[in-house]
Amino acid sequence: MSKPRKFNDPAVLVMPAVLLLALVFVGPLIWFFIQALASIGTPAEIVAHAWAIITSKAVVTALSTTNWISLMVTLLVLLISYPLAYYLANNQGLRFTLVLFCIVVPYFTSIIVRTYSWMVLLGRNGIINQVLQHLGIIDEPLALLYTKTGVLIGMVYVLLPYMVLTLFAAMKAIDPSLMRAARGLGATGFYAFTRIYFPLSIHGVISGSLIVFILAIGFFITPALMGGPSDVMIAMLIERSVEIMFDWSGAAIMSLLLLFATLVLYAIYYRVTDVRRMMRA
Amino acid sequence: MTSIESGQGKGAIELRLVTKRYGKERVVDSVSASIAPGEFFSLLGPSGSGKTTTLMMIAGFADVDEGQILVDGTDIVAIPPQRRGFGMVFQNYAIFPHLSVYDNVAFPLRARKLPDAEIRERVGQALELVRLERFADRFSRQLSGGQQQRVAIARAIVFQPIVVLMDEPLGALDKNLRYQMQVEIKEIQQRLGMTVVYVTHDQEEAMNMSDRIAIMDSGRIEQVGRPAEIYENPASNFIARFLGEANLIAGTIEEVGAGMAVLRTAGGLRLRARADPGVQSGVQANLFVRPERVMIARAEGAAAAEPALNFVSGRLAQTSFLGNILRHAVEIEPGVRVTVDVQNASSGLFRTARETAALTWAAADSVILLR
Amino acid sequence: MNQAKPASPGRRKFTAGVAVATVAPTMFFIGKARAAEQVVVRTPGGVFDDVKKETIYDPFRKETGIEVVPVAATTAKLMAMMKSGQNELDLIDTGDSTLLELEKSNYLQAINYDEFKYTNPADIDPVVKRKYQVGCFIYAMVLGYNTKAIKPGSEPKSWAEFWDLKKFPGRRTLPDMASGTPSLEFALIADGVPMDKLYPLDIDRAFKSMSRIRSAIPKFWDTGALSSTMLADNEVAMGAIWSTRAAVAIDQGAPLGIMWNQNALLAQAYGIPVGAKNLANAKKFIDWSSTPEAQARWLAKYKAIPVNTKAYGATSKDLMDPATGTPWTRSKGFLLDINWWADNRQKVGQYWSKWIIS
Repeated sequence: MSKPRKFNDPAVLVMPAVLLLALVFVGPLIWFFIQALASIGTPAEIVAHAWAIITSKAVVTALSTTNWISLMVTLLVLLISYPLAYYLANNQGLRFTLVLFCIVVPYFTSIIVRTYSWMVLLGRNGIINQVLQHLGIIDEPLALLYTKTGVLIGMVYVLLPYMVLTLFAAMKAIDPSLMRAARGLGATGFYAFTRIYFPLSIHGVISGSLIVFILAIGFFITPALMGGPSDVMIAMLIERSVEIMFDWSGAAIMSLLLLFATLVLYAIYYRVTDVRRMMRA
Repeated sequence: MTSIESGQGKGAIELRLVTKRYGKERVVDSVSASIAPGEFFSLLGPSGSGKTTTLMMIAGFADVDEGQILVDGTDIVAIPPQRRGFGMVFQNYAIFPHLSVYDNVAFPLRARKLPDAEIRERVGQALELVRLERFADRFSRQLSGGQQQRVAIARAIVFQPIVVLMDEPLGALDKNLRYQMQVEIKEIQQRLGMTVVYVTHDQEEAMNMSDRIAIMDSGRIEQVGRPAEIYENPASNFIARFLGEANLIAGTIEEVGAGMAVLRTAGGLRLRARADPGVQSGVQANLFVRPERVMIARAEGAAAAEPALNFVSGRLAQTSFLGNILRHAVEIEPGVRVTVDVQNASSGLFRTARETAALTWAAADSVILLR
Repeated sequence: MNQAKPASPGRRKFTAGVAVATVAPTMFFIGKARAAEQVVVRTPGGVFDDVKKETIYDPFRKETGIEVVPVAATTAKLMAMMKSGQNELDLIDTGDSTLLELEKSNYLQAINYDEFKYTNPADIDPVVKRKYQVGCFIYAMVLGYNTKAIKPGSEPKSWAEFWDLKKFPGRRTLPDMASGTPSLEFALIADGVPMDKLYPLDIDRAFKSMSRIRSAIPKFWDTGALSSTMLADNEVAMGAIWSTRAAVAIDQGAPLGIMWNQNALLAQAYGIPVGAKNLANAKKFIDWSSTPEAQARWLAKYKAIPVNTKAYGATSKDLMDPATGTPWTRSKGFLLDINWWADNRQKVGQYWSKWIIS
């Protein structure tokens, strides 16, 4: 059966957005990569140059730092977000609104403002160290800022809403009668959670973790401001190549690397959400 | 540990003045009932009548505000749901979507930490009982509604509970399948001898399956009894109308005596029916009679005066064809119609509308219900 | 158009496509603002513009009727803009080293000092009077310290002392590669290289010298804001910091002190891009804003040293060496060689990337 396409066909409606994206984003991006790489020379030279950059100590170290930080951030965000999302999914009214408000509102503030606020809190003479010293818990100020700890705190805070909202959506989709059924069939709260609730929320956990990880590997403001000298993430290297050294081809190669990693993760993410849709049907 | 927690009891349930409030409203209002061990007991009522809330209080998912719930003599109000040891079948089945049929049925056993060998054996038996042996590896999304229902039942009975609670378990099934499942559930219940408390809003279902039915309305139990009892002797106009088709002919009581009464309609018809001792002369009342208890014939001559029967003549207003029965509406007085059901056994009795019809029913088949 | 020497692969090569994408919103902005006579200027934005609007842009408009339209753009964006031929700027107000990068790509027009009407070109400090750019103010990389951590008078008096962790314990900061110019010069001075024999810099020796105090540096700063915040919050006791940043912070009550010995002279400067649409206005703006009066009015607020030597009299005393009556930059400083940096920045950057993670 073939019907003529109407204007309310979703494919038609999405066309202007796709065209715009292709025109002002994808097009220039591809053009940029081609030009930046072509300026290096012959294909053999490009490969040699790219290989030299990718295997350089700076890039290798930055990649491993990026991975490690992103992994830790994802794990911490997950640990903090899960109970928060659970609370949101199982409460209504004022409590729900209040908690959601606290999670989402910082989201609308500039990331630089938020990062500087953390610097005020975490500094050697910052509020947290002063309070701890006053209470006599520590003698010397803790090195919270300009360390990996600082980067983790800052990034966890910025990325928290993404995870909470993703988990919340997954948890809201869990039929509450299933938990009731589990308990009615003799399961303790803990048993019902581990065997029923958590497995049913696992898609949210995976998608949320992928989103957070994908966003984390592209971070540069927070690690640049809150990290120590050696906490160099790959996006910081790219930014410096462009802004300071005008090394566009080097930046292009590192960007391609990052883009590739991101696309692979997105492919996984797509698969996961697809499976979830299948599960619900 | 109570007998219910150990699973060693007989499964007698007693509700004593159980009340549940939401704000000021008493959604369950002083409900009392005694359910015998091995009894199939239904809570029947329209939506909002408090039947599901009553079941949820028995299950432990809703707190009891007042009253007691006793199982084999022990008050279980303070025991959490997972320790009450009831089997449960939920509305929409609540099959765990991420677990196979086998794992769903094994769930209550694993929660009780039974050895694997025993779990395999019991799950096998339960699946056999519901005829799902071949579907053990499937997931709920791969099953039909009826099959999902069977999984839910197998899961509820696999740990051999003495009491199984069912909340509108057949609500989502189509009519034919419903009847088939009613028979199956009843069979399983009889074979295993467990007590079943069954919530439904479908009166045919309740009548088909139950040993006794409690009719609920506005948070109260209106009447408890065997299906036939309630059907024949509804305690109120509401029950009469709720449980199947009913004729309710309005009038005034003219005579009372010896368990019988005479009701006089606005048009002057005098009809006899059974009556409670509480029925007094001069009060407004309805005469209740089931459509299938009324006999219909072509009006041929005057009827003989017979005290055990009521005779009324009228005009045929409408006939509905319902397959196995024909439903006639006969106007006996202006604005008063009596519904008469006739087996679709022979060729039609009436051919034209507005024919005169003679109605007859036994006075013993009709009851006076006060308005 | 893309014929620049391919000595270092990929350097300064980028695409018109990207440039169009990044420049497009700017064009839109300029398009809206275009009215009568105007001059479109790239500026660092923020507080810089707030001060300059009050002291330069507004008076300039009143006197000449020319509206100054400030536009923010990073160095990379400037390069992209010029490369793609999408230039909408009449004037670039930025660091001298950025202008040098543009000049090397042939994106700048010569400054014609003979056409000056308001300013006597002879009054302009020759250090910042170049063929393709002219300074608009002078500042320096200096040794800043927190006066609560270090009593004024007992601060390090040289970079050698800054490098002396025994005599001056405490945490320090130095500029990050991301700031554009890490303090290789100070590292060499501390290691014993005389101030007038710095260039060409011995990169290897400089990094070895920096390694000696690396353990006392919790953070290298990449933006001026971070450097003054760290010093003011006593996150570090001392550090290399831009004199303008430090002075403005002091004005606002921050407990900072400046040690001027061995300072590195830096300049903010004007350059006129090729294809400037309001060329005459751009020239007039440079000329007008370089007068002693305009310089004094503006720089008193911005805490910088004028390029017009006739404005010294009205310059903040803090910026002048009482012993010589000249700015500290002239009496105690050395000129940061932007030519050397332009040629070696990428090499230093690669060195830095390895050094920082070692």
